[in-house]
Parts: sequence; structure tokens; C-alpha cells
Amino acid sequence: MKGLGRVRLDRVEKYYGGVSALKTVDLEIRPNEFFALLGPSGSGKTTTLRLIAGLETPSAGRILFDNLDVTDSGPGERDIAMVFQSYALYPHMTVAENIAFPLRMSGVPRRELASLVRGAAARVRIDHLLDRRPSQLSGGQQQRCALARAIVRKPRLFLLDEPLSNLDAKLRVETRVELKSLQHQLDVTTIYVTHDQEEAMTLADRIAIFMDGEIVQVGAPAAIFERPATLAVAGFIGSPAMNLVRAHADGGAVRVGDTIIPCHARIPGPPRDVMLAVRPGDIAADKQGLPAQVYVSELLGETSIINLKIGAELVKMRVSGGSPFRDGEQIHVRFDPDRLHLFEPESGKRIEIEAEPKMRRSAP
Amino acid sequence: MTGRGLRRRLAKALITACATAILAVWAFPIFWAFVVALKSESEVLAFPPSLVFTPTLRNFIDTLVGRFSILPEMGTSLVISLVATLLTITIAVPASYAFARLRLPAGKLLGFYVLATQMLPPVGLVIPYFLILNSVGLLDTYQGMIVVYLTFSLPFAIWLMVSFMEDVPREMEEAAAIDRASRLKTLWYVILPQVRGGIAVTVVFVFLNCWDEFLFAVQLSGNRVRPVTVAMYNFVSVEQTLWAKLSAAALIAMVPMMAIGFAAQRHIVKGLTVGAVKGGGRR
Amino acid sequence: MKGVNRAQASWMKGERLFATALVAPGVIALLVTTTAPLVYLLWTSLHAANLSMPWVKGFVGLDHYVHMLGDGRFWDSLRLTAIYTVTTVVLQVLIGLGLALLVLQIPHGQWLFRLVAILPIVLAPVVVGLFWRTLMLSPSFGLFDIFTTQVFGRSYNWLGDPTLALISVILIHTWQWTAFAFLVLLAGLASIAPDLYEAARIDRAGAFARFRYITLPLIRPAIMIVIIMRAVVALSAFAAIYAATGGGPGTATQILNLYAYQTSFVALDFGYGSAQAVALLILTLAVSAALFRLRRPKGWA
Repeated sequence: MKGLGRVRLDRVEKYYGGVSALKTVDLEIRPNEFFALLGPSGSGKTTTLRLIAGLETPSAGRILFDNLDVTDSGPGERDIAMVFQSYALYPHMTVAENIAFPLRMSGVPRRELASLVRGAAARVRIDHLLDRRPSQLSGGQQQRCALARAIVRKPRLFLLDEPLSNLDAKLRVETRVELKSLQHQLDVTTIYVTHDQEEAMTLADRIAIFMDGEIVQVGAPAAIFERPATLAVAGFIGSPAMNLVRAHADGGAVRVGDTIIPCHARIPGPPRDVMLAVRPGDIAADKQGLPAQVYVSELLGETSIINLKIGAELVKMRVSGGSPFRDGEQIHVRFDPDRLHLFEPESGKRIEIEAEPKMRRSAP
Repeated sequence: MTGRGLRRRLAKALITACATAILAVWAFPIFWAFVVALKSESEVLAFPPSLVFTPTLRNFIDTLVGRFSILPEMGTSLVISLVATLLTITIAVPASYAFARLRLPAGKLLGFYVLATQMLPPVGLVIPYFLILNSVGLLDTYQGMIVVYLTFSLPFAIWLMVSFMEDVPREMEEAAAIDRASRLKTLWYVILPQVRGGIAVTVVFVFLNCWDEFLFAVQLSGNRVRPVTVAMYNFVSVEQTLWAKLSAAALIAMVPMMAIGFAAQRHIVKGLTVGAVKGGGRR
Repeated sequence: MKGVNRAQASWMKGERLFATALVAPGVIALLVTTTAPLVYLLWTSLHAANLSMPWVKGFVGLDHYVHMLGDGRFWDSLRLTAIYTVTTVVLQVLIGLGLALLVLQIPHGQWLFRLVAILPIVLAPVVVGLFWRTLMLSPSFGLFDIFTTQVFGRSYNWLGDPTLALISVILIHTWQWTAFAFLVLLAGLASIAPDLYEAARIDRAGAFARFRYITLPLIRPAIMIVIIMRAVVALSAFAAIYAATGGGPGTATQILNLYAYQTSFVALDFGYGSAQAVALLILTLAVSAALFRLRRPKGWA
């Protein structure tokens, strides 16, 4: 029984006792989409996943799969598969038996089991480990066993709860690529929970960013990268994340300290204090501009991150190659005027600025 | 060797000597029982007692297959303990799963109830049981004994199994639910295999408690059904005590328990410490 | 305050049914085998039920209890129960802890100690009582007597002298069950992370200070559990005392448990015996409740 794999959360809320874990959530996930739920711990993303899985029931609202209300259905009735953060492999069963378990529970006849199990295992390249027990596998192999168990049934929905967080850094990056390829092959709607923004940005077709129990932005990675909706999102996305600097805006000019920052846009509203956000890659050293003192340089190989002190604030600048500066050196920097983001300091909301068209084309 | 190293070695040697001495003293009574069992009755009463004598297996043979055989009573104990243990496990394991994992109506209250029943002093139960079994004619029967042995086995088994059930990670059950396993299938295929060790511990303790039990045995049994603990009194009477035979018989009766103790020692320690971590309970 | 404000999902209802079905046999069995007899015990304690005087019967209300409160022997047995329980528990904890601390220093031989410790625990208490009565404590031929006559030149009447008899049964109980405290506390001690001791050593804490500030507080929960469990067992100890002294000489070792037994099965006064058993039950529950509260001062955690 396979529908399209569309998921909709309609005004869903979740309370535990008197404590709110999820404030009103409205979400629509499209068929065959790789959709990430991203946010720091406790932001509500795992709660949302568990609600979609049916492991918890919402305090209010509905959950719909392909327009079918599944809010009252148990997890076994929703035709989903899930990979847990701890993998939740059955320790007393072999890898083959683990993978076969969901098929057995669905009543698949015994003679078909072996080939289906081998097929799923081969897809994640553990078909040589079928007779081992989970305790005899490495972390990466266990994770793939959990994956195989999830995909063997060809479910309508594929849920992953921070599946890579228990792997070491190098393995994480390798497995990431494999996961993306796997999802393309299987063509199944995938919902992926993570706190690692790099993971979400590289894997997902669309991302929902959670903060404090609500969604603050939904969109494709590029859109989020280009136009973060709030200060919090701006400070969260990107590695390294955006620099956030206190500034003062007045019509067409933005001032940091005593220096005017050229900005190819008009800032609506009265003169006020704002937060200025700019990516490390959009800062460059210059003969004139904002005075800054080099604090520490991080050499990363192909690029380097220069930590600067501008007034009392720490700002990171990216340069290619090694660092041409000494620690403590006084330099000047300029921010790319087309790539500035402004936010309200208290609410964190993005300030929409109107670009001045003729200025944009002449950006250096 | 440095001064510090030497001091440490000396300390360790002293501690080992001390502990071994305590151990020897502690184990001595059992050892002595063995020695006595190998003597003849007259040698036992010889004064002063000596470790030099001609050992004889007469006592062991007599109490095992000879005139004073306690084999029938051991058989009785075996039947009662085995059946009681089986019944207990069959009832306690599912119940403990429900307590530990499922949202039970009035769950907490029932939990207190089970804990409280563990605190009952046996004398408070043997009195009504004597009167009740007497009036329904179940004194001195296997059925009567088995039912009575359930009274102390059940609460203890439930309490033990609950802690083992709680050790199973919740995610295991969630994964099984997503894999479309019904509650019953989850219990059978996923949970039970994982608490196998816990069940073993419970079986050992329940069986041990049943075999070693005395008060219920002596009051509620008679000539037809006589557990082995009561059989010890075959060798004790007002006029005389057959020391050597008593020792031999007691040792034979306790051999199954000692064997289980050695074989299942890790299980026993686990059972004891489980109790220590979660509170309450017998033995 | 908002909570889960939707109706129970249908699949959750099924779960409740399943849970009830699993628990039902156990609860029913408990009710039948434990609670019913208890109720019957209470009922009997309110009636005259002396099988040696079967013509006397009927409801007597609280007569037995009143009689009990005026019964010197009852108070005596209560006193003995208190002495017995407190002494055996304290001894078990002290010796068990001491032994565990010693054995902890010998990581290689620990398995042997654990093995030997299991022996007294698996023996039937009645067997233990008989062994001690005959082999160790009996006059002339018991090992204790031989030892004292050889070394001190005099004989002690371990089982015949009231005070010595009490000491004897305490000794027997302690001998059998200290191993329990030993095993539990050994496991508890082993679970303390060695890093804590190393950090303390670096902070220049001596052995005694380390014991006082690290070991004791961390092992306190285990000690409390041992105390609770052993106290409950000591209150209802029967077989070993019965086998060793039978409650005697006279009534010198007749703790309440044994007194109730004697009243019921020897004097055949089941009514009065039931009342005594009820008293013991109340005592046990009270002691457990008090000890539990000591363990978790904030209430049920």
C-alpha cells in the first residue's frame, strides 16, 4: 500500500504535563522530498518526528498522510520506517533476522524473505555480515543494518533521527553522501532530524528550522542561506556562521562604531540600532574601511579564517590560502555591500531592505 | 624496590592474609560438617575430636539409598519447588512487563500492593493457611503446598522481573511497533529474549527459596508429602541426635543448592545487587 | 494548565486492555494466595479459636489484643525481637562492609571470596540451625566447647544459658547472612569510579578521609537497602532459631515470630496467635515504612 508520500501537519501542538514542547506547527512535506528538521537540542524537532511516526500523540491538531488522517493510528499502521539515533537493533537477532523482522511482522511468506533481506543488505553493502550479531559490528555497520531494516519494506515514509551523530567525523561525511544517493535510488519521502546545519544543508531538498518549539523558517537550503529569516537562523546556518555585529541604521547608511558601511540599499523606517549580519566570505581586507585588529588566525588548508576584533566584537573573515597577517596587526576591512543582512535587535526579525538597482550592477 | 612499593606489597599481603583467615573461619562450619559426615557415630562422640580417623562413606550411603534414605523427601521437594517455580514465572513475567512498560490502570497502586505483600511475615500466613487447608482437606498434599509456596514466590518474582524489564531500552519497543509488531509479538520476539538473563536469575532465586523453606513445610505437610527440610528431623529426636547421619543427610539435601549456587553464582550476585539498586524484597 | 486534551487514541486503548490482561492473572493470584489468607488472619484474631478447647468459640472483638498488651511474655518477645533484629543487621553491615573493603584490595582473588560467600546464602536456614546446634555449640562435643575448654579452661552453656542462647542465635543468623551484605556492598564499592579516588589522592586526602568523604556517601544507598532487606528478614526469622534453640531455653530466644508460632501450633490457641501475628505484621510494615523514609527523605523518588 503505497501512496504518494505527502505529509501534512495541521496546527499540531504537544504538551507534556504543563510544559509546551511544540507550539503550533503547520508543515507540508512533498512526495519523494528529502526534508530536514533542523534545530538545536530541545527545539522540538525530535518531538515532531515522533509525532509523525506515531510514537506520541499530538495534544492538538491533526497529522495527515496523503490526505488520510492518521492522528489516531499507531506507528505500525502508518506504513513508515524509522532509523533511531541509537539504531535500536535487536541484540539477540542476527543482522539477517533484524532486517527480516519487519517483513515477518507484515506477514511476508518465508521463502521471499531471504532474497528481500539480501537485496536490502546489498544496497547498504553489509551483505557479507548477515550472520553476525549487532554487538559484533562496528558503529558504521550497525547504522547500515538499521538502514537496511528500514528500507527492506519499501515504506511510504522514511524517518531518520540523527542517524549520523554516533559516528566519527570522517565516517559521518562519507555516510552523508551515501544517504543522499540511497534516497534518490529509493525515491521515498524522507524526513531527517539533525542539529548539524551542515548535514541539513548538504542533504535536504527543503529544511524546516526549529527554535524553542516552533518553526522559524522553511525553505530550500539556498534560500535559507541567502535570506535567513531571523537573527537566530543567521547565527546558526553556515560554517563558520554569519558574523553578527551591532550597528546603527539611518535611511541609506549603516554605521558600525564610527565607520560608515556602504550598503547598496535603502533601509526603511526611522534611524535605529540594528544587528548587521555578514558572512565571513563576504569580508575582505582593504586599505580603507572598518578598523580591525587581527586576533588569531585559523589555518584550514585551502582557506583560513582570520578572527578579528572590531571594537569589542569578534568577527571572522575568510581568506584563501594562508594568513597574510600577523597576530595583533591593525588592518581595515570592508563588507560586500550587496551581501549585508539586517535584523531587529530585540525580535530578531529580518529587515527587508530595498536594493538600489543602479548600485547593484556596479558592485566590485 | 622502592620504600613505597614495599609498603604497598606488605599491606596487600596483610590484607590478603586477613581476608583469607576470615574466609577460612567463615567456611569452617561447612567443612566440619563434611568431616563429621565421614565419621562413624561413635567416632563423632569421641573426645577429643580428631582429624585423624578412618573416613567412611557409610553415612552418605545410608542417607541416600539406605535405611535412612532422604531420597523420597528430596523428590517431594523437587516436585513442589519445580512446579511452584514454573507457575510463578508464567504468571510473574507477563505481569512484570505490564508493570514496567505498559500504562496500567492504577499502576502505582498495584505496585505498592505487590511490594507490601513481600513484607508479610510467614507466620502471619501459615496460621490462616493451616486453618484453611485443614478445612478443605488440602493439608499434606502437593496442591496445597504449591499454592502456599506461591504466596512468597510471586511478589518477589514480580518485583525482580520488573527491574529487569525496565532495563530493556524503550527504543527497542518503539522500533518493533514501527516494524508492525503487535504488542504480543513485541513481548514474545523482542522483549523476552532480552530478559532471558533476568528470568534465569528469578528462576534460581525462586527455586532456592522454595527448596530451603521450612515453616510452611513443617506445618502444612505430613506423612505423605514431606519436603527435605523437614526430613532433617528424621535424625533428631529427644533422646539422641545422629550427628554423623544428620550431617550427611543435610549435606546431601543441600548439594543441589550448592551446585546451583556455584553454577549460577553470577546470576545470584546479579539478583542480589538488582535488589540493592531498586529497593525492598526478600532474601 | 493544559495537558493531553484529546480523547485516547484507539490504539492506546488496546494497549490498556493488553496490559490488564497480562497483569490480571498475577493480581488475582496474589489476591487469592496472599490477601485472602490475611483477611482470614484478621478475622481469626477477632474470634476465639482454641483447638484445645473447641467448645469455646465466637466473636470476641479485641479481647485477644487487650490480653496481648497485658501479656508479659508478649512484651518480652518484642524486646527480644528488637535486640535480635538490630544486632544482626548492624553486625551484618559492619562485618560485610569491612570484608568488602578488604576484598576490594585483592582484585585477583575476589572470585574465590564471592564463591565462598554464596555458600551460606544457599543453605536452608533450618540446616544451618541444626549444624550450629550440634556441631558447633553443643556441650562437650561441639567445637566451641572444645575450643573454650582447651583455651580458657571452662565450658560455656551456649544453648542452655538464656543470655548465651540469645547470643548464639544472633551469631548463627549473622553467620549465614553477612555474606549477603558482603556481596551487595562489594558490588557497590566496585561501582565507584576509581577516578574519584585518584582525584582525592591528588588532593592529598588520606585513606581515612577518602573513605569518609567518597566511599561512605556513595555507598550509603546500598547500605540502606541492605538494612531494609535484612531487617525484614530478621523480623520474620524462624527456621534457624527453631532448629537451634526452639525458642528456649524457656523463652529466652522466643522472638515474636516464634511466640506466635508457639501460641498457635503448640498451645493451639489460634485466635490469640493470630493477634500476635497481626502485631508482627504491623511492626514489620511500620519498620519498613520508617526505613524507607530514611532512605528517601523526599518521599518516593
